[in-house]
Amino acid sequence: MKNQSIIYLFLLLFSMSISGLAQDNISPQRKMAIDSLALEKVRDLSKYISIIGSKETAWSEANRVIERTLELFSEGAQMGVSTINQPKVKYYDIRTYLERLMALNYDKVKIEWFNIEYMSDLERMPDGRYVGVITIYQRFEGSSGDKMKYMDTTKKDITVYVERKQTQIGGRLIGFWDVLLGDVRVIETKP
Amino acid sequence: MLNNIRKDHSFYWALVILAVIAFTGVTGCKSQKKIEAQKAAQERTDKIDQAKMDLINLINQQDNLTTAEMEDLVSEIRGMNLDDVELNALLEESENIIRAKREEQQRIEAEKRRQEEELQRFEENRFNKIEDYFEAIASSKSMEMANTRVNEALKFFASPQVPVLIITFMEGDFKDYDKPTTIRKYLEYLKDQGKNRNKIYNVQFDSHGKIIELELIKM
Repeated sequence: MKNQSIIYLFLLLFSMSISGLAQDNISPQRKMAIDSLALEKVRDLSKYISIIGSKETAWSEANRVIERTLELFSEGAQMGVSTINQPKVKYYDIRTYLERLMALNYDKVKIEWFNIEYMSDLERMPDGRYVGVITIYQRFEGSSGDKMKYMDTTKKDITVYVERKQTQIGGRLIGFWDVLLGDVRVIETKP
Repeated sequence: MLNNIRKDHSFYWALVILAVIAFTGVTGCKSQKKIEAQKAAQERTDKIDQAKMDLINLINQQDNLTTAEMEDLVSEIRGMNLDDVELNALLEESENIIRAKREEQQRIEAEKRRQEEELQRFEENRFNKIEDYFEAIASSKSMEMANTRVNEALKFFASPQVPVLIITFMEGDFKDYDKPTTIRKYLEYLKDQGKNRNKIYNVQFDSHGKIIELELIKM
């Protein structure tokens, strides 16, 4: 029994030391810059979605912006979609979601994101990546003619992955933070 | 009596010996001084000859001395106070050469400074022009206007694929970057986002004056 306790204690100390190794060894200022960078990517996404959704955007431009938007996401990421009338959340891969958004059957579409902030701070995982969750509120307004047809406000959580990478540019090694967005999950939808 | 005579003789002999010693001592001292004087004169002559040779080499610029080394040499020779007519003439000529050399160096440095300032002004103007384009693209009222400005801005770059690096954090020489992009994508980003959040930090040009790398920094 005593031996077992010693083994458990040893394992606990070992796991604590391992997690300690995985902790940040970067300065708070540098971490703050990474946090801002990830938030900026979500704001960029917000703008891209409003451009793609807008009926004033030319088809070719919307397609170009879709390609830019896809670059923000990690492979296999999904977007949750909900309506007030249909409480069940549907998930689409990002390209399908963006193409559906572009083809929405309204004369006018206005999408705005607001209150973009961290729900859970970026934290370093044992594999070295930083993972966090950013919450956004999306105001959707779709209308045909002069009458307002549909509008809702949806709270969504976006998983954010930040990974340290290196690339060669002009013969020198450049260290950069690759920010990729993961699944966008619907938390709640209100009128 | 005989004893007195002997005593007298001893006395005279002693006088004679003393006289001889005194005479040889005086003449020995005199010749020693003469030797020393001759030696000093020879040393001075040697120094003058060496100094003349050094100065002639300096005048003919055979030793590849720097201006500072020339100044040190002339100053060292002047400090010897050799006071020789020919040497003084050589010193004067050397000083004239050094003065001319200094003036030439100052002229070259001033010209170099002027060229650097001109280049800096030119690059600043070019930076400002590019910054203006970035601002204009981000604040374009229409997509057509933005596209026109994107195409105009691209003319400053060697190709649309020119890399754009955005510094997100800097501490001393250490820099963190956002994911590198290309100038075309960056200009389109400005157009799409409608905001110019970065300013130019560094630009690299090719021999034709076109930008081959752009480094920006977050404001």
